[in-house]
Amino acid sequence: MKTTFKTFFAVLATTFLLASCNDDDAAQMFNNPTGTGDLQVKFDNAYAGNDLILGAPNTVNSQGETLKVNQIKYIVSNIVLFDENGGTFTYPKSESYFIVNEANPASTFIDLTSIPAGNYTKIKFGIGVDQAQWEAGADGQGDFLAHADAQDMMWSWSAGYKFILFEGQFTSATVSSDTAYMVHTGKTGTAYNYTEVTLDLPTKAFVRTEITPSVHIVTDLSKIIDGTNKIALSDHNMGGMGAMIMGGEAVAQISANVPGLFTVDHVHND
Amino acid sequence: MALCAQAAVAITVKDSLRPFPYSGHEPARYLSKYHALLDDCDACGCSSNGGSMGFSSMFNNEFVGLRYFYQRYSSKDGIFNNSPWVDENFNTVQAWARIPIVRRLQVSALVPYHFHVRERATGDQRIEGLGDITVLAMFTAYETMRDSTVLTHKLQAGGGLKMPTGKYNMANNVGSVNPGFQVGTGSWDYLLATEYVLKKGRLGLNTMATYTIKTQNEKLYRFGNQFNYGATLFYLIEQKVKWVPQLGIAGEVFASNFQYDQIVPDSSSDIVFGKVGLEVGRNDFSLGLNAMLPINQHLNGGKVESNYRLSVNLNYSL
Repeated sequence: MKTTFKTFFAVLATTFLLASCNDDDAAQMFNNPTGTGDLQVKFDNAYAGNDLILGAPNTVNSQGETLKVNQIKYIVSNIVLFDENGGTFTYPKSESYFIVNEANPASTFIDLTSIPAGNYTKIKFGIGVDQAQWEAGADGQGDFLAHADAQDMMWSWSAGYKFILFEGQFTSATVSSDTAYMVHTGKTGTAYNYTEVTLDLPTKAFVRTEITPSVHIVTDLSKIIDGTNKIALSDHNMGGMGAMIMGGEAVAQISANVPGLFTVDHVHND
Repeated sequence: MALCAQAAVAITVKDSLRPFPYSGHEPARYLSKYHALLDDCDACGCSSNGGSMGFSSMFNNEFVGLRYFYQRYSSKDGIFNNSPWVDENFNTVQAWARIPIVRRLQVSALVPYHFHVRERATGDQRIEGLGDITVLAMFTAYETMRDSTVLTHKLQAGGGLKMPTGKYNMANNVGSVNPGFQVGTGSWDYLLATEYVLKKGRLGLNTMATYTIKTQNEKLYRFGNQFNYGATLFYLIEQKVKWVPQLGIAGEVFASNFQYDQIVPDSSSDIVFGKVGLEVGRNDFSLGLNAMLPINQHLNGGKVESNYRLSVNLNYSL
């Protein structure tokens, strides 16, 4: 009996020591990151706290309007990651243009590769295509031009890219039956309207060869027209033909709302 | 959790058993054996040992037994107001034993086997396997001698070890807000436990508290330290069979979890249950039934809710 017990505790103690060593190795590797890893950015479209369901009526906004969203697409570009030591990593520009399209779930996950291992605390990205890139001319766009064209995210080369395409139906106090709305943002005659968004991560993203963090961003679509600037679709419903917002002051106001659309809900380090 | 101590290991020591001194006159003799320490295992399923269920061994201070317990949770499957709530069913079958080693020293062991199911809209998510084995040694610090009949006390204190025999799988938590959806914590954890039993005649009160210090596992994840407490009133009815109805509360408090030394948001929790139970004993066997309903809870930032817990156990006196 006594022997059995001694053996038992010896085994226990040994196992414990071994386990401790393993932990130390893992911690050592974790604390001295080398090489590169991947990172995923997930854009999860929402509407005022609810998960977006295409075609379903959303909650009433501050203008007394109820929207059904049928299509939402936006261009995400020029991703930059900031690490805890103040360093930055700019994702290669030629690979840093993406179209997030709610109708295509795969497109809401942006997989970034070959990122230096590190502890990242902040992310910056653009909504739309920056002016410098557009000025590089049609030949300078690489494959992205054809992709944007196929996704209906171009007006024409000279008119430029659509940065956000937000379409559906709405009703309001004065518009009782479902009426179409189309909000397209992008370059207008007076402004380029490319918008940068910088977000703090609630917890660090640990990029390692063996850890691929996932940064879960929530995009609150209600704030496109009901953010800092408030735009009533009813005011743009000329002759009851539907609210079409594709230029003018409203696009500038919506572009100013863009940074407020995005929050990082959480980061997974798995 | 707490005393989710267990048995397999202890079986080997059976030949060293020695009768534990009785502590009272006849009714008290049985009452003295009431032991709630093994109560509580993890709320939140966290390390998934159990569930504050009450280690009801009022008839047999030294025993081996089997216990089944069921924990029902709802958890939010997503981050939005309109995200669906999914049901989580935590099932555990546990072999347990409490064995005296020498006078004043008892060792308990708990060997759990878990099978848990999350009923997601996209299909059931299942995990199953051996859980974390716990061994706990309790020392009797004070005990009223048998002839001090009016009011008797018994104070025990001890410590134990929870071993990472259950597999911790990081992937179980992907897409889930309930970090307790695991069969083990993957860590070596240490328990401190104390129990105090006060009796007068057929009536008794058992109070217990345990604190579990959890360490970082191989995946550099550390579950939060855990405090369990409970108080149970019990009463002995002695007929041809013995009946011991019980009524009490049990609480669990979990500190935040850490992953890579970084706090995991919404991972701290606390909950208080009301519990009722009944143990029926005849000859060397006893059958226990227990139910627990939450009175007040704050689990994982409100994203997890405990609905109820049930347990049934069959013990055999050694």
